[in-house]
Amino acid sequence: MSSTESRQSAPAEQPFRTLAQQLEKLPPCQAQCPNSGDIRGWLGIIAQHEKLGLGLQDAYDKAWQRLTELNPLPATLGRICPHPCESLCTRAGKDGAISINAMERFIGDWGISRSLALAKPAPEQHPESVGVIGSGPASLSFAYQMARRGYSVTVYEEHDLPGGMLRHAIPDYRLPRDVLDAEIRRIFELGINLERNFRIGKDISFDELRDRHTLIFLGLGAQAARHLGIPGEDGPGVISGIDYLRQRKRRIASLTGKQVAVVGGGNTAIDAARSARREGAGVTLLYRRSAEEMPAAAHEVEDAISEGVKIRYLVAPTRIIRQGTEIQEVEVQAMRLGEADENGRRRPVPVPGELERLPVDAVIAAVAQAPNWRGIDPLGDARNWLRTEEDGRLDNNIWAGGDDRGPGIASQAIAQGRLAAESAHAELREEPAPPRTPTRKPVESTNVKADYYRAQQRVCSPRRAEHDWLSNPELEIDQTIDDQQALQEAQRCMSCGLCFDCEQCFMYCNVGGFTHIEEAGPGRYLALALDACEGCGKCIEVCPCGYLEARDYTT
Amino acid sequence: MDTAGNLSYLSERAQQARPVQPGTLQDGSRIAVIGAGPAGSMFSYFLLNMADTIALDIDVDIYEPRHFCHRGPAGCNHCGGIVSESLVQRLATEGIMLPEDVVQRGIESYTLHMDVGDVEIATPLNEKRIAAIYRGNGPRNSEPLDTHSFDGYLLDMAQNSGARVIHKLVTDVRRNMDGMQVTSADQHCDTYDLVVVATGVNSRLMETLEQQTQEFRRPERTKTFICEFKLGREVIRNTFGPSMHVFLLDIPRLEFAALIPKGDYVTLCLLGDDIDDELMEKFFESPEVRNCFPGGVIPAHACHCYPRINIRAAKPAYGDRLVMIGDSGTTRLFKDGIGAAYRTAKAAAKTAVFHGIMAEDFKAHYWPLCQKINNDNRVGKMVFAFATLVQKARFARRGVLRMTVNEQRQASVTPRMSGVLWDLFSGSAPYTDVFLRTLHPAYIGSLLWNLLASNMPGHAAEHDLQSESEHRHVEH
Ligand SMILES: Cc1cc2nc3c(=O)[nH]c(=O)nc-3n(C[C@H](O)[C@H](O)[C@H](O)COP(=O)(O)OP(=O)(O)OC[C@H]3O[C@@H](n4cnc5c(N)ncnc54)[C@H](O)[C@@H]3O)c2cc1C
Ligand SMILES: Cc1cc2nc3c(=O)[nH]c(=O)nc-3n(C[C@H](O)[C@H](O)[C@H](O)COP(=O)(O)OP(=O)(O)OC[C@H]3O[C@@H](n4cnc5c(N)ncnc54)[C@H](O)[C@@H]3O)c2cc1C
Ligand code: SF4
Ligand code: SF4
Ligand code: SF4
Repeated sequence: MSSTESRQSAPAEQPFRTLAQQLEKLPPCQAQCPNSGDIRGWLGIIAQHEKLGLGLQDAYDKAWQRLTELNPLPATLGRICPHPCESLCTRAGKDGAISINAMERFIGDWGISRSLALAKPAPEQHPESVGVIGSGPASLSFAYQMARRGYSVTVYEEHDLPGGMLRHAIPDYRLPRDVLDAEIRRIFELGINLERNFRIGKDISFDELRDRHTLIFLGLGAQAARHLGIPGEDGPGVISGIDYLRQRKRRIASLTGKQVAVVGGGNTAIDAARSARREGAGVTLLYRRSAEEMPAAAHEVEDAISEGVKIRYLVAPTRIIRQGTEIQEVEVQAMRLGEADENGRRRPVPVPGELERLPVDAVIAAVAQAPNWRGIDPLGDARNWLRTEEDGRLDNNIWAGGDDRGPGIASQAIAQGRLAAESAHAELREEPAPPRTPTRKPVESTNVKADYYRAQQRVCSPRRAEHDWLSNPELEIDQTIDDQQALQEAQRCMSCGLCFDCEQCFMYCNVGGFTHIEEAGPGRYLALALDACEGCGKCIEVCPCGYLEARDYTT
Repeated sequence: MDTAGNLSYLSERAQQARPVQPGTLQDGSRIAVIGAGPAGSMFSYFLLNMADTIALDIDVDIYEPRHFCHRGPAGCNHCGGIVSESLVQRLATEGIMLPEDVVQRGIESYTLHMDVGDVEIATPLNEKRIAAIYRGNGPRNSEPLDTHSFDGYLLDMAQNSGARVIHKLVTDVRRNMDGMQVTSADQHCDTYDLVVVATGVNSRLMETLEQQTQEFRRPERTKTFICEFKLGREVIRNTFGPSMHVFLLDIPRLEFAALIPKGDYVTLCLLGDDIDDELMEKFFESPEVRNCFPGGVIPAHACHCYPRINIRAAKPAYGDRLVMIGDSGTTRLFKDGIGAAYRTAKAAAKTAVFHGIMAEDFKAHYWPLCQKINNDNRVGKMVFAFATLVQKARFARRGVLRMTVNEQRQASVTPRMSGVLWDLFSGSAPYTDVFLRTLHPAYIGSLLWNLLASNMPGHAAEHDLQSESEHRHVEH
């Protein structure tokens, strides 16, 4: 090896430097939340309240404010959201994901009990008026975001009360109406007008509506139930899942003492089955695939079973047999799982010759829903979902969101309503469009040092005793954690990708590169003097949450 | 100030809360040890075991935010990791049996590199070998090693003796009415009868404490450099052999430089007065260093940091209900920090259990040991100054080299220079001993003779010596 060669590989480019920088990253909870909720942010306000100079009460208030910036229905979503945010929580590998849903519920209830009002940051009032069709979560979210940006908003709802599926379908034992009432009232208190019992396409035409407003939002949801398409379906004793649930929400009993077959495997089917049990029916749920493929949330299925719902997997109804008009039996065909379809779900195929008859008095068909375009057909035909741009733009000054764009969950409806409002606002104000894709790079789970954090058991929402579920059919099963549990649970959050002031970098940096910021805020506790850094890289290594990272020393 | 009122209030409180004299440890006394480096863990171990011998029932909380199972600097208390065999044996007599996966005993000699040549110094008879350890769980991004963390091992031991480990960073220590209040980063406070500061000098707590109490001067520290090269066991065996490589180079402010083979890695350690870029550049450019690496190329490194080292003790290293041990108090200059941690930890534990926990107790029973180390360090500074002279003068380097080579070659020659160098590099003997040996007439005589002989014009000594050292290299 010649000496010039060895000189080239000399440490002239200063390889012994690992200079540090602070960089906020996208945590997995936020990445998974359909509404990109700043979960880490509002948990952090609670967990770090002492560092922020807040009393616990103020911290809960502030957390509520932070949360409601994106989601005006936290007490509601804290009850019904299937919480995908928890699925990849970094803490899951240690001692269980953060109970984000239970926390959201707590914060939501806190806001209701303290009668907190939604903030309206924009003092100015814009001249444009906005018309919103429907009052489901998508519409409420859109209306909320536009109202707080200073637009006059009118919501048109064909039913007497706003809330969409939350109001008319989701059963009371999962979502009590006073909770929903309180949260919806708060939204309308921002000055939004509500036209109830007002159906677009019947009371006025869509074109008339367009003349009334500068801009229209379509949040019609998916109100039409699909049929089973089997002989004997038409006639008394067969009801769609959604219609049955609407009845139950109005406390109408129709199946007490009867034997009911519920057809379907989604949340509507489970909700219908459990609701029927609550009015004293015997319930068998018929699902054409196996338990693994069932789209309903696993814990809902478990609860249904413990309430006495019988589930028959791998059967499909072929015929409803009546004597006169009365239903006698339902004939079912045994199925087996065949090839996977384009979604990777295995397709059920009939097993030839294996037919069976089940004695029933009624059938609830909860197979699927679709939007109902009656009276406003130019926008779409009865069987089709709306095809919008990513931000919900359908046409000039027409935006859409929620289940009319495809079946989803409430959180997604809220997200679509919000994103549409952000884009619509930008367009009306001629501002640059807000960014769609996450601008922060994701936290790498390997950069979060889970064992730095003290082990602590996950707190879950407590539940009422099981024997009480059916005897008190309307009472909510899950309860809210108390404020001490909420504090504990918030403190379990590892604050992936954002400083939580553990002070390790401050303590161990030998050049004193970190100094406390006087006006500390969530995620902003320490300033790093980049020019003081000697590049030992220690702080990057000790930072438990992955906020500190190496920076290129050539820049 | 209403002294009488205050006093009666104080004694009233004391009677209510603690019906015992406050100046000694009692059943139920609570001790906070801040930092679980060797000093903190050994202190806890000694304290609990000594308390046990007199049936004293005390609670020890060790605060340490690090996890020694983390790789890289996060789980490491960064040092060269050299412990003398005599220290290993000494610890064994204390019941601290370091297992094979904590102590690696692959090193059998020192190789001294100078511009005038190299010489390998075999282990003196009484030492047998040098042990190497990893303080943490190995370098950053490294594969899991077959070794375990030294600090982690000691902490486990303290825990097994009954200490409770609290994985929290301490941000503040204050004296209050009830004793010592310890605050951690999550804002929690706890009160203790005695606080033992063992944070070393690579944290800011000593600074806070100094400002907080105004009772002492924190240790002075200087910047050092450490890095790890991954070369693989095979390459290391062939290029470095079972030897620790030490450099005596004419680089200002560099007091000690060593390459220490450890399994798949070689640790480089630079000590001196503020190791900076300029110094490092000079070091890496010197042919003596480059030639140690395969192909004369400095490879990419796996891990590096700039730890601080204690160069002047805390003064005083105690107060009422407060004592500083290990690097936070006193350590040996540049060498054997772990040995000093052991000695200070034990002395402080002994004082706390058998004498008391007030300033006067530590002054009478703990401070003398610190003073002894401090005095020896003063001698150490002289020895290093002498070594610097040797580093600076080429003729002196020749003399040292010649004398050492001759000693190593002939078993019959008393290894005076070898012994001095050995002790200087390994830290196995007090600096005072080393210094006294250099005053021995035989040493001086021999050195003078070698200085002359190696610097005679036309003398082929240099050539001879180099081939000699090459020969020894080949042997290993
Ligand atoms: C039984 C059931 C259980 C569910 N459970 C959950 C759950 O646990 N968690 C979850 O996250 N999601 C759940 N969902 C899904 C969730 O309710 C929907 O995704 C969500 O409500 C969709 O919101 P949206 O605003 O798009 O529509 P919707 O909530 O359907 O609201 C649409 C509103 O528009 C009104 N409307 C329609 N057409 C007109 C018109 N022409 N003029 C005026 N008004 C009109 C309707 O009356 C309705 O009020 C469930 C759905 C069902 C059916
Ligand atoms: C480059 C270099 C090479 C060295 N080589 C050797 C060698 O080869 N052999 C040898 O014997 N010695 C060597 N030393 C010296 C040796 O590293 C130290 O003397 C020894 O580590 C001191 O031990 P300690 O327990 O006092 O402190 P440390 O080992 O520094 O441990 C202090 C502990 O306290 C913790 N701590 C700090 N602040 C806080 C806080 N606020 N709250 C809670 N915990 C805290 C830290 O996390 C750490 O675990 C070397 C030193 C350097 C710098
Ligand atoms: S630990 Fe906290 S920040 Fe990290 S994923 Fe879970 S909830 Fe989000
Ligand atoms: S600990 Fe300090 S010096 Fe080291 S990399 Fe971080 S900021 Fe830089
Ligand atoms: S080490 Fe702690 S205080 Fe420092 S940046 Fe990371 S989280 Fe914040």
